[in-house]
Amino acid sequence: MRDAYIVSAVRTPGCRRGKGALAQTRPEDLLIQALNGAVEKIGLDKGEIDDVMIGCAFPEAEQGLNVGRIAVQMAGFPDSVSGATVNRFCASGLESIAQSAMRIMCGWSEVAMAGGIESMSIVPMGGNMPRPHPDWSKKNPDVYVSMGITAENVATRYKITRQMQDDFAYHSQMKAAAAQKNGLFTEILPTKAFKFTEKKDGTYVREEFIQNFDDGVRGDTTIEGLAKLRPAFSALGSVTAGNSSQTTDGAAASVIMSGDACKKYGIKPLAKLVCYVTAGVKADEMGVGPAYAIPKLLKKVGLDVKDIGLFEVNEAFASQAIYCCQQLGLYDNKAEWSSDSDSRRININGGAIALGHPLGCTGSKLAATLIANMQKKGVKYGIESMCIGGGMGAAALFELCQ
Amino acid sequence: MVRRIEKVAVIGSGIMGGGIAALCAGAGVPTLLLDIVPFDLKEEEKNNPAARNRIVKAGLDGQLKAKPAAFFDKDTEVNLVQIGNLEDDFQKLADCDLIFEVVVENLKIKRSLFERLEKIKKPGAIIASNTSGLPLKEMAEGRTQEFKEHFIIMHFFNPVRYMKLLELVSGPDTKKEVCDFISQWGEKVLGKGIVWAKDTPNFIGNRIGVGLIGEALQILTEDEVTIPEFDAVFGPAFGMPKTAIFALCDLVGLDTINHLADNSYGLLVNDERRGIYQVPQFFKDLVAKGRLGKKTKDKAGFYKSETDMKTWKKITKVIDLKTGEYVEYDRKQTPDIVKKSKGAKTLAEKQQAIFYSDDRLSKIAWKLGARCLAYAANRVPEISDTIVGIDDAMRWGYALEAGPFEVWDNIGVRKSVEKMKADGMNVPENVSKMLAGGNETFYRVHQGKKQYFDFTSNSYKDVIVSKNCIFLADLRASNKVVKSNDSASLIDLGDGVFNIEFHTKMNAINKSMLDFMGEAAEYVMQNGIGLVLGNQAPGIPGAFSAGGDLAFMGGLAKEGKFSEIDAFIKNVHKGIMGLKYAPIPVVAAPYGMTLGGGCEVCLAADKIVAHAELYMGLVEIGAGLVPGGCGMIHLWQRYIESVPQSVTLNDYGAYVIPAFRAVAMAKVSTSAAEARKAGFLRPKDRIIMNKDYLIGEAKKEVLRMVDDGYTPPAKKKYPVMGQEAQGMVWAELFNMKCGSYLTPHMKVIAEKIIYCMTGGEARQGQLVTEEYLCKLEREAFVDLWRTESTQKMAENIMKTGKPLFL
Repeated sequence: MRDAYIVSAVRTPGCRRGKGALAQTRPEDLLIQALNGAVEKIGLDKGEIDDVMIGCAFPEAEQGLNVGRIAVQMAGFPDSVSGATVNRFCASGLESIAQSAMRIMCGWSEVAMAGGIESMSIVPMGGNMPRPHPDWSKKNPDVYVSMGITAENVATRYKITRQMQDDFAYHSQMKAAAAQKNGLFTEILPTKAFKFTEKKDGTYVREEFIQNFDDGVRGDTTIEGLAKLRPAFSALGSVTAGNSSQTTDGAAASVIMSGDACKKYGIKPLAKLVCYVTAGVKADEMGVGPAYAIPKLLKKVGLDVKDIGLFEVNEAFASQAIYCCQQLGLYDNKAEWSSDSDSRRININGGAIALGHPLGCTGSKLAATLIANMQKKGVKYGIESMCIGGGMGAAALFELCQ
Repeated sequence: MVRRIEKVAVIGSGIMGGGIAALCAGAGVPTLLLDIVPFDLKEEEKNNPAARNRIVKAGLDGQLKAKPAAFFDKDTEVNLVQIGNLEDDFQKLADCDLIFEVVVENLKIKRSLFERLEKIKKPGAIIASNTSGLPLKEMAEGRTQEFKEHFIIMHFFNPVRYMKLLELVSGPDTKKEVCDFISQWGEKVLGKGIVWAKDTPNFIGNRIGVGLIGEALQILTEDEVTIPEFDAVFGPAFGMPKTAIFALCDLVGLDTINHLADNSYGLLVNDERRGIYQVPQFFKDLVAKGRLGKKTKDKAGFYKSETDMKTWKKITKVIDLKTGEYVEYDRKQTPDIVKKSKGAKTLAEKQQAIFYSDDRLSKIAWKLGARCLAYAANRVPEISDTIVGIDDAMRWGYALEAGPFEVWDNIGVRKSVEKMKADGMNVPENVSKMLAGGNETFYRVHQGKKQYFDFTSNSYKDVIVSKNCIFLADLRASNKVVKSNDSASLIDLGDGVFNIEFHTKMNAINKSMLDFMGEAAEYVMQNGIGLVLGNQAPGIPGAFSAGGDLAFMGGLAKEGKFSEIDAFIKNVHKGIMGLKYAPIPVVAAPYGMTLGGGCEVCLAADKIVAHAELYMGLVEIGAGLVPGGCGMIHLWQRYIESVPQSVTLNDYGAYVIPAFRAVAMAKVSTSAAEARKAGFLRPKDRIIMNKDYLIGEAKKEVLRMVDDGYTPPAKKKYPVMGQEAQGMVWAELFNMKCGSYLTPHMKVIAEKIIYCMTGGEARQGQLVTEEYLCKLEREAFVDLWRTESTQKMAENIMKTGKPLFL
């Protein structure tokens, strides 16, 4: 089989649901900027793209009607460029990369795109019309259980204490704040956004502005402040708004090519997608997903944890992220993830606790972040992984192209 | 010229001013609220409008956060309040038809404000001062004739929304037309009880009220009696609020009481009890130390509550007057006469028990009572032309169940006067004269009319009430009861309209009441044209009906007689649906607590005419049950009927979820406006500001419906969301259970609620009959009674009044 190369990967900023900068911007408007940004960065003619896969966790309403195709058209791609929406909840944006890469690898396409979109402000988590199957929700409600409860289950079953979670969350914030200050998020695309404002004369207008940073980062977070927060999902629990991922709006996109295409267009590849796996786990502790997916991935490619230079393990909740790191042997040595450690490998510039988790976008967003970091650090292998609602984990191995 | 209040202004945004503004907005009147520009503005703030409005903004915010709430529905009503300051926005007052002055109680400041107002006010606009004691005469001095003709005192009580009393004082120049208008406007639009006072210090309510406090303070220093003893005796045991005397001082603020007493002492040079207004030294010391009651930081006044940091229990302490220290006391220790009073059935028996028992406390209570009654009698005609004005003021302004002359009637005028004489007290001349003429009571019903004894003419005169008010007690006294049993009565309201009055404890609905309602409806169908469901229980807010009588069903459940519960509910449904589909219009007139079964009766009526203070909800889950009187059916019908039929509903969930929550979370509205938001009141249901108007307005609705050619609602099928809703709700209940927010049995009940509300096994959008929904409701209801948990929950709420979550 051929290799598939990521030649361009960008993302919009991730901004807070409801009060954040992107809350009043339609998801398609975010996605088209990511798609165009990824293509324009390498100066490729849009007509050369064969197909576009877009991840979305709640592909309905504003994100419905096959947003994967609609956004491609809105972005000014010629009619010949096709598009689809894929959904694997929080891994949707990674699933889309994998599917496009597989098209290249088996020779069915030369150039494809992948991406992800989620406006959690506009389409709520759980969707606008949740309709669990009546019989199944009576018999086995675990399938529909809230993500917060699964995080509580992980915390209680695997003894991840409140202190551990708050500490992990604190470091996520510190890493993100430092990276933001030092301009390390080079994968961010300054993004045109809208807000609806009432003018003095009582008329309403849609105003345009540019957003170029993640607006959920809290550099002033303290351990003490985190300790004061009430549990968010369980009266007696340990999972709080402070040690959970933020609900976020954002979009991301990448361009994937065969080696032949790279040569043809004279484009230098960034990284190669080596392998992608998924693993099923119990629905009521879905957060453990990466603890199964990453070992499965490593076994498949014959590598060891020590061979991997960087990890992006999505911080859906501190409890599950900690558990997964523990299982990989990466938690007890705090130098692997602490903000004061130069040798850290886990979420080196912060994770979703600080930067947000725009569900279906996250897979593509983290890929853009990981590849940017691999390049900066000259790291050969990087792994991206996340847990998935309903009880799954996904993981992908990227190899840097020198 | 037709006078209209299209816009009011309130100057001063403190507790009273803000409260008046909130009430006006709640009544639907656009309101301009002004206060001063802060004195301490920094140089850079001087042109900043927000900084200049800082005081008034804080005043309005205080009202928005007030507990109990100052607005009925703040989200809507706050839009009617415009804020500003007295420098930049003064000219806006020129548009206002009524301007309330609620600034600091300082004659000079008020006068200079009136001088400014005089120059810009619209000709004919009314200026009303909310002073609690300054003479009108002095405030109006130096003003033009036009100003004086439109100047009046409108004295509200705190909290403005909840206290019914509005004292009005006119000056010699105030136009009669202005007086009449304000009296009607205050009664109808603001819903207040109007009492005309005279231009005497502290008017009526505070003159008598502070007199009572002054007497009590003096007795504290004379006799062996404790503060908690006093408050126990003059609390609910006597028909007074729980705050009684000294806790009331804490609530109002000791500084305010002190100020009022000083005002009385200074101005009432000839008052026969002037001495009581010179409050004892310990009281002055408390004020000087800043121990002003609830308003002070540690909330210390006469009482102080602390939390034991070890057990997190609340400890109540009371001040020891000798040492000035706060000491713990046992709140549950009840004096003997209070126990005796609690055992009595009527208010008269309670009050007799307090005054005429043979123990230490009774003697002290009598001493205070006798002095106050005499004091009140001596104030006619000084502060009020009639005894009615004094009784109304005390009931409405101090939340007493009975005013002084009503108390006097309750304890027997002659008997008490004899006792006064025996104690060597001076009996008021007017009362002696009344008795000498063979007139034994202050009030009587004569030829169907309530009358009071008029000291001036030494004869009985009709009590004049607004023609919009109907009092069932008066109708009862004039033999208008056509049918009655121990729980309810049918009263003839005239013009073919009859009223079903509940009269059980808290007006709880029981079997005999239900049976009666059926019989009463039969009677009205034969002899009348329409029916009102209304009653007038005392209290603020009082209870239209606090729910169903659980004891009856609890008893059946204990004996395992579930088929009897089933039969009972079948009967309830027959009765409720019978009312709904009766060939005559039925109008419910709820107020105050309208819970559970009380709410369900209202939901079945053709129309609801509700008092603005309506605390309505289906709270059965707190007793371990689902609503058993078609409450869920009718609430869902209200939601579904709010959508035009031409709309195809795709998302039933948007409707089911709020309706389900209202029942599953036992949500109770804090006003009629909120009940409308929650779907209990329909858009065509009416909200009435004045509680005394309710039955009259309900009667008008019946007559209007008959006039319009009444036909009962057509029976039809209603769409339900079916089992799709259950999938959605069960999944969420599972989350709540996992998060320990929901106990196991509460989850079972919630599941039954959603099952009933969405039509059981029906599919989404299925049209189902009411009979089917009634069957689901009945089955759920009986099933729950079969469980031990429900039996325990019901028993707990009966015993303690509080829900037990199992």
